[in-house]
Amino acid sequence: MLPQDELVSRRWFLNRMAWTSSAAAVGMALPGAAAIVHDRGSTIPEEAFTASVRPQELDDLTELTLSETMTLVRSGRLAPVDLVNAYVDRIEAYDGIYQAYSARPTREDLLTQAARTPVGGPTAPLSGACLAPKDNFYTADLLTEGGSLVFEGFQPDYDATAVSLMRAAGGLVIGKAQMGNLAGGRARQYGTTIPTTRNAWTPDDVRYSPAGSSSGTGAAVAARLAIAGIGTETGGSVIGPGNAEGLTCIKPTFGRISLHGVIPLSYTRDHVGPMARNALDVAILFQVLAQPDPNDPRTLGLPPAPNYVLAATPFGGNRPRVRWPTRVGIWPDYFSEDNGRVNQLRTDFIAELEQNSAVQIVPDVTLPDQWDELTSDPLGGSHGDPTAFFIEHLRKDVRNFADRLPRFLNGMLQSADTYVKVQQARNLLRHRMLTQLFNQCDVVLTTSTGAFDGTGLPLMCMPIGFDRESNTGNLVPRGVVMAAPPFGEERLFAVAAAWQAVTDFHRVRPPDPA
Amino acid sequence: MPHQVPPSVPNDDDLNTYIHIRYALLGIDISVLPESDAEAPMDQERLLANARSILRQDAEVAGFEIDPQFNLPMPFPAPFSAWTEE
Repeated sequence: MLPQDELVSRRWFLNRMAWTSSAAAVGMALPGAAAIVHDRGSTIPEEAFTASVRPQELDDLTELTLSETMTLVRSGRLAPVDLVNAYVDRIEAYDGIYQAYSARPTREDLLTQAARTPVGGPTAPLSGACLAPKDNFYTADLLTEGGSLVFEGFQPDYDATAVSLMRAAGGLVIGKAQMGNLAGGRARQYGTTIPTTRNAWTPDDVRYSPAGSSSGTGAAVAARLAIAGIGTETGGSVIGPGNAEGLTCIKPTFGRISLHGVIPLSYTRDHVGPMARNALDVAILFQVLAQPDPNDPRTLGLPPAPNYVLAATPFGGNRPRVRWPTRVGIWPDYFSEDNGRVNQLRTDFIAELEQNSAVQIVPDVTLPDQWDELTSDPLGGSHGDPTAFFIEHLRKDVRNFADRLPRFLNGMLQSADTYVKVQQARNLLRHRMLTQLFNQCDVVLTTSTGAFDGTGLPLMCMPIGFDRESNTGNLVPRGVVMAAPPFGEERLFAVAAAWQAVTDFHRVRPPDPA
Repeated sequence: MPHQVPPSVPNDDDLNTYIHIRYALLGIDISVLPESDAEAPMDQERLLANARSILRQDAEVAGFEIDPQFNLPMPFPAPFSAWTEE
């Protein structure tokens, strides 16, 4: 069986047959991606538990990956309460500096939850996993303030579907992660421009941004204050912090994860995105979350979620390679970055991919017709979306929106004519991206996220090296952004798994605060 | 028939008046913001500048020609691909 991006489009499948057939003829494996149709609380693929645990990680439980944790808990070598204590100890020691969290349960509450978690059972694969959802996910037991005065003191009476799924799988919400004001920019003190959350790689220098708007989730996961987390992305808000913090993250195809119980920004562009330290951990969390939700019609009627965990599992034994023959396209301006070190890291990354027997590099893909016009304002934007949700808040006091006020008022000025034409342009752009971009490649290395956020196509980021940042002189991680056609997540996981099987950038730990 | 005369292009003051009236109609009071304060998170001057640009973009988009027979409005383009196999 083929990865889902090929299964959902017969035309693409036919276009690719010539190349995949020739690869198979020289011995290339085309392993199956078994579809998983699961309801809430059902099992995670067995590949998630196969991690070999590095001995040194047992000295500091916060260093364990999610897969390692799951393996140890299921085998009875690790108790969820020990994980809770390790993370709470670290949070209490350092979150006064990182400021990654806006609200946290008490240690006692967490220990009580952990003690109740089924251990090793098939319905609770995330037993004891300490997770950091962004503060725009509703939580029935913790405030949900969206990084803003608009929601200050807001206590939902139910969990967002994504939070509910994580908890049903045995995961624990160890805190609500700080975020940019109403999902824009880096986290700040509410209603001001004073930054709060620090980048985990520069805990003693607030100047270097953790990026936004999923700032707290990114910092918490990188700083070992959470094992993984979930952010949201409307315009780069998962991929940006992911790369700023040296994480691996996915922004899935639109509709793949429920947005029910998430403070909305744009009902046509919002996405939930799992954030973790490596591709396998991201896939595990994604597998738990990728389910249809009757409360969010945008998740219904999609192809069943395939086995993302398998796709993110290293393949090829001692000579790891991408699980499926994959054409990797290079964006036309991919090396135009001012920073020469970044260009070198990108060159090294592509050179490593070229060594992979399953990868065909496609240099300088050509962009679809009218690319600039269709992807930039006003046709590529979504200015009108947020206003409708917030009219009562706008009437109450516009000052609560602080720097984000224009974004939330614009919908009252934009015409229906513009709104319709933006949607027409999205459809045209999607069609051209499929027929004029993804006819050249299966995955593309890109430099921006906007066109993929707008059309709902999947994105993934992961670290490829380190660089001394020009403004502050700090040593910080650099990453890549990869994009794929609709439901191409397996392909992205497969590329990331092959890269992370032969590199260690995703394992490097940031320094503790001084 | 007499030729239609294009209306004059509104200037910034015209647009500011329109914006104030539009917000007042909706019960939204922007006068609580400082008039001009670069240090404040938001002020009326920046808000109005942004609003004027949105209105002018609106006029720009009105001139965008896109074939309605082949490009229907599409809020969720990616899932559409799954439903249509295109």
